[in-house]
Amino acid sequence: MNNPMLAKDRNALILLQDVSKTYRKGQESVRALDGIDLAVAEKGMVAIAGPSGSGKSSLLHIIGAMDRPTNGEVIVAGQPLNALPEAGLTSFRRETVGFVFQSFNLIPNLSALENVMLPMEFNGVASEQRHRCAKELLDRVDLGARLTHRPRELSGGEQQRVAIARALANSPPFILADEPTGNLDSKTGQMIYELLKEIARERTVIVVTHAEILAQMADRVIHIKDGRLAYPSSAVVSNHEPSETEGRTTHA
Amino acid sequence: MTMMRLGLRNLFRNKSRLVIVALLIGIPFFLLLVMQVIGDSVQRQTELLKQNVNNTLQLRASGSMGHVNMMGNEDLLPQDALERVRQVEHVARVEPYVLAMTPTEGHNFAMVVGVNPGDTKRLESHGEAGNPKIIAGRDLTEADRGKRVAIIGQGYAKWAGITPENLEQATLTLDLKRTHPVIFALNRPPAPVKVVGIYASGYVFGDMQLFMPLDTFREIYGIPAGISWLYVKADSSEHLPQIEQKLRDLLGNVADIIAPTNVAEFQNTATTAVLRLSKGGIVLSAALMIITVFFVMLLVVRERAWEIGTFKALGASNSGIVLGFLTEAVALSALGALLGTLVFSVWGGAVVQRAFGVGVAPFLPAEYKDTLINALTLSSDIGPPTLGLLALVCILAAFAGSAWSIRQVVRLSPMEAIRHE
Repeated sequence: MNNPMLAKDRNALILLQDVSKTYRKGQESVRALDGIDLAVAEKGMVAIAGPSGSGKSSLLHIIGAMDRPTNGEVIVAGQPLNALPEAGLTSFRRETVGFVFQSFNLIPNLSALENVMLPMEFNGVASEQRHRCAKELLDRVDLGARLTHRPRELSGGEQQRVAIARALANSPPFILADEPTGNLDSKTGQMIYELLKEIARERTVIVVTHAEILAQMADRVIHIKDGRLAYPSSAVVSNHEPSETEGRTTHA
Repeated sequence: MTMMRLGLRNLFRNKSRLVIVALLIGIPFFLLLVMQVIGDSVQRQTELLKQNVNNTLQLRASGSMGHVNMMGNEDLLPQDALERVRQVEHVARVEPYVLAMTPTEGHNFAMVVGVNPGDTKRLESHGEAGNPKIIAGRDLTEADRGKRVAIIGQGYAKWAGITPENLEQATLTLDLKRTHPVIFALNRPPAPVKVVGIYASGYVFGDMQLFMPLDTFREIYGIPAGISWLYVKADSSEHLPQIEQKLRDLLGNVADIIAPTNVAEFQNTATTAVLRLSKGGIVLSAALMIITVFFVMLLVVRERAWEIGTFKALGASNSGIVLGFLTEAVALSALGALLGTLVFSVWGGAVVQRAFGVGVAPFLPAEYKDTLINALTLSSDIGPPTLGLLALVCILAAFAGSAWSIRQVVRLSPMEAIRHE
């Protein structure tokens, strides 16, 4: 690869180079992402902030290997995603990414424990090990006493904690959280944020949010507007030491 | 395994829906079983017909129908023909009949047949397949020889006002002096006979007959000797031409020998029609099941699009997710099949008979409507071939019915997980 930028940023956990995404709606085409250059280092909490329709979700889809860019390079954990076939993207998601959704997305007819075990089952982890591991994860999010509860028997905050435990199931190097507090009251949302910040001490947590207040609690904030980064940065910087161009205002 | 287990568990997520869907799938399964049983039964009847007809010859007096009171047709075979035929090589059995006609209403008439109780009670023109089905009372037995007892067809019973309920007290008086354009009077006293059974033949004329012991007939009609019809059964159908030749040599001057060429024609025609309908019914039932599974699975995929997206986002493979849905579809079909089979087993042949009446009779010519329905021996037994068919249809319905939904599942993107929000 001759791209000097990529060579320079080889140590980045997530590296996006001139990434664009165009959706077609009939004859019309909508450019959701336009020339995104971004490098995210290991560990720490990164917030992707921006108004609705700014391209946050499209960026999340691409980083999480749920969608492919129209143009540009995406390298995550040393893996060039463009080169991966569909099955490769599936294994990538299974092993490398933990997802936390706004609506929790817990499988309703499975207990909290079974929900957490699910990604490990997909990953072929032995039954005993995944059982033990899922229990530990639920203990960690303070739900050790709610193992057999179904999602409808849990509060919103509890459901999101189960979802976070599930995201940690295969020990992925980074967690992608899409508006994780969007369906929670502010107090519960704060607790979830603190939990995610705690997790960010050991791995990278990328949070997509349109709430500026929450975004400012992250170690690093990436603003996006009209499909472009407000302060482009493709240099690898520590998520705890933001570049000036990103306009970070608060420290964790 | 995970997804298969999930597929099975998903079945019970909405219990009221499960019951409705199982019923919706169970009904066509039930109909399929009904059609299968009807088809089998008709098939069996045809096989029996072929077996019995293809190795049998009928002898009558030359140029005569052999009815003792039918104008111009009253000539009988000589009594010694019986013994002479018995001596012919490869003849396995001979069954003599003596026949008369008795007027009923208008230009209609019934047949009166004298037969040895153990012999086959064949019906004139059509029912050569064998004994008709007794629907009330009992058949004739060896103990009835010489007694004034008879079994009658359901048409004749209806004309005579005899029902299964009053069979115990049923007596029919034969008036041998009554005439008809083709029946002449016999100067014999009226003969009351006790009716011990009612049979159903499968067609109107077959149901207008009366069977009594041969010696009783001879006594009532005053025919001490002579044979109207003599059925000659070969030990195998291959020997039939040889026997026919021998009989022509022996009795050619006094007897007409009727080969079985077209005797099964009627039965075959009716059988083909019913079999076609039953096969059509099976296909229709299977189609109904496929359509039900199709809509249910389509609804399921639509409802659970976000779950499928979540599975994909969490790293489940397409094949795993598809396996889960297929498991759910097969289990759903199997549950419907089980319900249909259960209903079929519990309600039994009676329901099948009624269903046959409702389902098939409208397509039959009017004269066969009720008679054929009652004549078929329908059973609710489920044998290995039926179980095999059920399993096959079950899997076919699940796979064909969920094919479109599976396509949707495969095409769904993991982004569906986020669209749920």
